[in-house]
Amino acid sequence: MSTKKTITVALAGNPNAGKSSLFNALTGSHQRVGNFPGVTIEKHEGYLDYRDYRITVVDLPGTYSLTPYSPEEIVTRRFIIDEKPDVVVNVVEGANLERNMMLTVQLMEMEVDLLVALNMMDEVEEKGIKINLDQLELLLGSHIVPISARNRQGLDDLLDHIVRVSDGRIEIKKNKMTFSAEVEKAIDKIAELLSQEPELDAAANHRWMAIKLLENDREIYSQVQKYPVWVKIELALQEAIRECDVLYGTDPEVLITEDRHAFVRGAMQECVRLPKAARASVSDYIDMVVLNRVLGLPVFLLVVWAIFQLTFTLGSPLMDALDYAFGLLSDTVAPHLPEGMVRSIFVDGVISGVGSVVVFLPNIVLLFMGLSFLEASGYMARAAFVIDKVMHRFGLHGKSFIPMITGFGCSIPAIMATRTLKSRSDRLATIMTIPFMSCGAKLPVYVLLAGAFFPPAVAANVMFGIYLLGILIGLWTAWLLKSTVLKSDSEPFVMELPPYRWPTVSSVIFQARVKAVMYLKKAGTLILGAVILIWAASNFPRSSKLDAELARETARIEASAVAPELKAAELEKLEARIGSGQLEYSIAGRSGKLLEPLIRPLGFDWRIGIALVTGLAAKEVVVSTLGTIYSIGQSADETSLSEILRSDPVFSQATALSLMVFVLLYIPCVAAVGVMKKEVGSWTPVLYYSVYALAVAWIASFITYRLALLWL
Amino acid sequence: MKLSELKAGDRAEITAVDAEPVVRRRLMDMGLVRGTELEVLRFAPLGDPIEISCKGLLLTMRRNEAEGIMVNKLEPAEIRQAPALGLRKRHRFGKRS
Repeated sequence: MSTKKTITVALAGNPNAGKSSLFNALTGSHQRVGNFPGVTIEKHEGYLDYRDYRITVVDLPGTYSLTPYSPEEIVTRRFIIDEKPDVVVNVVEGANLERNMMLTVQLMEMEVDLLVALNMMDEVEEKGIKINLDQLELLLGSHIVPISARNRQGLDDLLDHIVRVSDGRIEIKKNKMTFSAEVEKAIDKIAELLSQEPELDAAANHRWMAIKLLENDREIYSQVQKYPVWVKIELALQEAIRECDVLYGTDPEVLITEDRHAFVRGAMQECVRLPKAARASVSDYIDMVVLNRVLGLPVFLLVVWAIFQLTFTLGSPLMDALDYAFGLLSDTVAPHLPEGMVRSIFVDGVISGVGSVVVFLPNIVLLFMGLSFLEASGYMARAAFVIDKVMHRFGLHGKSFIPMITGFGCSIPAIMATRTLKSRSDRLATIMTIPFMSCGAKLPVYVLLAGAFFPPAVAANVMFGIYLLGILIGLWTAWLLKSTVLKSDSEPFVMELPPYRWPTVSSVIFQARVKAVMYLKKAGTLILGAVILIWAASNFPRSSKLDAELARETARIEASAVAPELKAAELEKLEARIGSGQLEYSIAGRSGKLLEPLIRPLGFDWRIGIALVTGLAAKEVVVSTLGTIYSIGQSADETSLSEILRSDPVFSQATALSLMVFVLLYIPCVAAVGVMKKEVGSWTPVLYYSVYALAVAWIASFITYRLALLWL
Repeated sequence: MKLSELKAGDRAEITAVDAEPVVRRRLMDMGLVRGTELEVLRFAPLGDPIEISCKGLLLTMRRNEAEGIMVNKLEPAEIRQAPALGLRKRHRFGKRS
């Protein structure tokens, strides 16, 4: 193995050009998913062995261009410049050559060892498009390899070319694209000035830098600005700008782009023959229905509904099964462990902690199978098109809709689903909106409280009102963020609607697997830690007085001469009472008491405070904690708990409403917080968000409580 | 006139692209440069964004983004080929506008 020569290959290309299919076809199972340094852009890396070579393949993000306007493009550029891959394979979509070649031309300008993989050749042939490869190779100066990544055709040929390019057996001509005369003049002048700077000399390709400076590229600007030669360059730039304005009525950036288009158009005319009669394609007919003014929205809602059902209706039996399996595991392990502390740590802490992480997997896998199907089939872009107007009103993007709706099931897959959004500010705003979409785990809380304090007819309206409040506050939050801190850098809605395609099974599974692994590895550990912490907080310290009492009383009941059923009942009551006492004695209990002055204005007492603290582990825990505190044990069924709550002087309709509002709005569960941190990349926004959520929850609950006291 | 003022089915030629830098860049990357011919296909069910076809691609943009594209509307007589089935010709590589 060690004698193998290594080659690094970078895959670059437009979104939807089939880079990922090629990457999967090449590397199979030898893949690693990470992030590019400093940004939350996924980096897929894999390797394969071919003859005597170990070829490492890096799948760069899909881009249309190499400007510094989007993080994807910056990442792609930097990777090519800094990591210097041995071969850059430009994946282009055969049936859509003209647009794809715009990137090819920009890669040529970088003077890399370029190889063009002409993908989707099956489609090209099917459509009767004829491409003169020899002529195109002559124009580009790079070899072109026709492939079909989906059908695994031409891969060996591509690998062979990669090897031959890397060891110099194929010469890359590095043709220069010629721009308009005035632009060329300016490029030469600036390149010449750049080469006068000794420190810059070693670094780079001066012609490319000159082009980029003329394109007003802020990255290159900041690189060059620190050198004394900048003074002269600035003058040259200003002159070029003046000249372009006089002669062409525009600035150099536009002129350079137009020149590239002209070059590509010329190449197309020379090398590509299209079939005479272009008929309306199947895609067009589908769009006539799917994007129809009348049918568009119903179809969209149907698709969203289907995704939701797939994720949660199909997912919840699997979730229950996992839950059951972990319960079974606890029951099997428990008898083998010494009674007391050790058993408690393992069974209640570790096993149930791991369980609470793993339990979200079915949802995540199913949702991402659904989403990657939508994405690869071409519908996702259309869904965004249909709903964008509504979302844009709140400063969001059409693509924010599906993650937000998913939030009604569970925030965790929903937050992860925001990856379909390209711009960071759109993603952040969407992520911060999602926890306000009332998730499935909050439902038991509403069912308990609304059921206990309102007649059935009203209870349904109350719950509907709670959901509505969540949506309103979520959208308000998005609007607030987008009109203040996240004002800049919105993703333009200028995008392509790709032709419909059947996604391959392997790519759908691949996406789901990547997300599952990422969740377990990155967020899982964080969530596990937090769950165990909350478990510990609600179990420690233990009161030895209560422990002693438990032992004493148990012995007394055991010894008493009553019927066994009565004994069992007595014991259960005792355990519930002691359990409640221990919870009160624990850190969670004490913090509940500590919180009481803060939550008193909302109508809550310390017992509700405890439930809110433990509810951070998972929202449905609020119910079971209330059960424990009110001494009816973990197995509390709803009716008995709601009766107790009804008879408790602290609780009233106003308190119930206030508590529902608070649970809806306050900090999401630790699992959601963990995923949030992983997706935004740092703790700072998450902390701000938590403070914000608490403040909003407090204010909303306060208003609810006071209004309810007045009117109810 | 502005691209945003066209109606579904209208054809036009771009005369200038003048939007904020990020949007302008994206528009140009998608092939919307001076001299390019395009057809407005439809508006989204809620009236925004717009879908156009250009150089065989289907593109979408919001109305406010389309405001930055200045066009010359082409009258039916100026269009060399009538679109088939009321749809555009999808592949127009190699044809000068």
